[in-house]
Amino acid sequence: MDITALRAAAIRTLAANWRGSSTVPSPSLYPHQWSWDSAFIAIGLSHWAQRRAECELLSLFGGQWDDGRMPHIVFDPSVQESGYFPGPAFWRSDRVPAAAPLATSGIIQPPIHARAALDLLRNAREPRRARDFLARTYPRLVRQHAYLATHRVVPELGLAAIVHPWESGLDNSPSWDAPLSNVPVDRTLLQRYKRRDLQHAGTAERPTDDDYARYVRLGKAYRDDGYDDHRYAGHAEFFVVDPLFNALWAWSEEALAGIADVVGADPGPHLRQAAAITRAMTEVLYDDQLATFTAYDVLAGARVMRRTVAGLAPLVLAGLPPRFVDALAEQLTSAHFGLLDDGIAGVPSYDLRASDFDARRYWRGPTWLNTTWLVWRGLRTHGLGDLAAPLAEAILDLAWGAGFREYFDPRTGRGHGSTTFSWSAALVLDVVDGLGGPA
Amino acid sequence: MRRDLRLACQEQLLPGDSLEAKWETAQALGFGSIELRGHGDGVFAARLGELQRARASGVPMTSVCVDMRHFVGDFDADRRRDAVEQMRQQLTTIAAVGGRLAMTPASYGMFSKRLPPFESPRSEADDTAVLVDGFGILAAHAEREGVLIVLEPLNRYEDHMVNTLAQATALCETVASPALRICADTYHMNIEEADLAASLLAAARYLAHVQVSDSNRLEPGAGHFDWALVLAVLEAIGYEHELAYECRLSGPPEQVLGRSTSFLRRMA
Repeated sequence: MDITALRAAAIRTLAANWRGSSTVPSPSLYPHQWSWDSAFIAIGLSHWAQRRAECELLSLFGGQWDDGRMPHIVFDPSVQESGYFPGPAFWRSDRVPAAAPLATSGIIQPPIHARAALDLLRNAREPRRARDFLARTYPRLVRQHAYLATHRVVPELGLAAIVHPWESGLDNSPSWDAPLSNVPVDRTLLQRYKRRDLQHAGTAERPTDDDYARYVRLGKAYRDDGYDDHRYAGHAEFFVVDPLFNALWAWSEEALAGIADVVGADPGPHLRQAAAITRAMTEVLYDDQLATFTAYDVLAGARVMRRTVAGLAPLVLAGLPPRFVDALAEQLTSAHFGLLDDGIAGVPSYDLRASDFDARRYWRGPTWLNTTWLVWRGLRTHGLGDLAAPLAEAILDLAWGAGFREYFDPRTGRGHGSTTFSWSAALVLDVVDGLGGPA
Repeated sequence: MRRDLRLACQEQLLPGDSLEAKWETAQALGFGSIELRGHGDGVFAARLGELQRARASGVPMTSVCVDMRHFVGDFDADRRRDAVEQMRQQLTTIAAVGGRLAMTPASYGMFSKRLPPFESPRSEADDTAVLVDGFGILAAHAEREGVLIVLEPLNRYEDHMVNTLAQATALCETVASPALRICADTYHMNIEEADLAASLLAAARYLAHVQVSDSNRLEPGAGHFDWALVLAVLEAIGYEHELAYECRLSGPPEQVLGRSTSFLRRMA
């Protein structure tokens, strides 16, 4: 592998996917700006194009609503409605008085943005400019987090809930199978609302039509309630607490504390919030039987008994108590995730030992570089270099071997989904430039 | 990941009354070579002795940038002919002293579509024919001499024919000589290119030289140009040659050039 060549290819990929003020996740399948994608992309950009990294985050926050929510898509008005489903005409943010003055979706994605902003400063070649950027962005990030605390936290759990599988970032994760089984499948919705994704990727690699019928039903129900969280909570058919979502929220609260130090604000509330989320996760989401973190179905009042990569995300938290760090490290090296197994590349998104493990279908088994990267960052945070180093190698090997694909077969390394996928290129850059450096 | 930049400085920016003296200063200021200025009327060719002595003293001279009042794309046939002849001599001379290239715009200061009288006396088709002819001759000569003839796009106020890397690329494709290549000047790019990174990616195949000055034509670091982006993309497309300083200075050269080369290295 030629690391210089790999780095150059990653830069060329991000340059090609730049659309003037932000980056598309991929040119064909995802022609708008996606929330958590842009955060990962900004991290990659921060290593070579700081000003674009700043623009990436600023343009995303231009889509922030009055209530502080950061929508999962900010639509490019120059792209036709037919370019992506569900587009602006489905979400109808223009009918929501509190929405941003541009077309966006109404659901959110895992809040990794404050962490991306802090990384930007850490990697900045123009640090004074980066500090100015943080001063501008800090209030927006605070409002993003305040939205979660006031509109999404389930009081008795102390953790934020998601109202749609897309809000998890792991759209068709097996963790949603049980909660979704209570959501009726109305296939007629797919006649009214046509999928576009299958024009760009094979059916075996994407969520099913039944999945999509449920996604549409849930999105429509939330939309028809005007995206009013308090009203919607009373009749939501899907209401789940996701460990990855909450882990990134806490990780970003830790980052906000760091940003607060830089901009002259009080880091205390952020540190306390990070600690509270972390503690709540250990109490609510950690399952002793599975020895990992799981999702929690609020409507069923029970944990979802599936091992996914989302359950490993709490590793990123500096404040995660050692016994949980050890448990997750053990989970990672077990047959369920195969770290240190030469036959497994990266961190599979789902339990290798599960009977319904699927090496090709999106989040039901394949290795994704963003979640693998999260685990890598977590391992470094806790000084687990012996596990982190091979994972860094795996990320680079996957990209070198198959290109910057959307996801990879963990057993063969074969690439699937989009080609020239932005966050894959972006996170390769973070790994390359982080080799040998501090966590 | 920081890699070392190869920086060249145009001779007139360097204090010193000989190329040898200028070279000593240049090294202290962070440069690895000198770019010469190519005056017309046979002046550059007449410097051959001076240049050869400098070369023998160890002065690296990588390129010559034209410094005349009429150019290959001139409206007048006689001036065109003379410009081509001058550039031929510059190619021969720079080759003789171990340099890589001689460079020129299509024209400079002759006409702009954005300034009165706005309407060019020559059609675009005739512009192209003139350039294809002139650069065809120069490319053949450059090939024989083992060097490159390099076309530099200028901003719309300085020339009306070749303003963007894409336009220069089109000309290169028409002439189709391995000796005709492109120089990207960051000052002109800052005005003309919609996306600095995308433009460099698209022109990568023909890019043989880069000149640097900031958004305000002063030395790199004195304006608001996005240096980190462009330096990263240049590396990512495999550009391995010099970045040549052609700029005004914000202060005395001994003060501002050293600060500037350090700045660029930090941005790389």
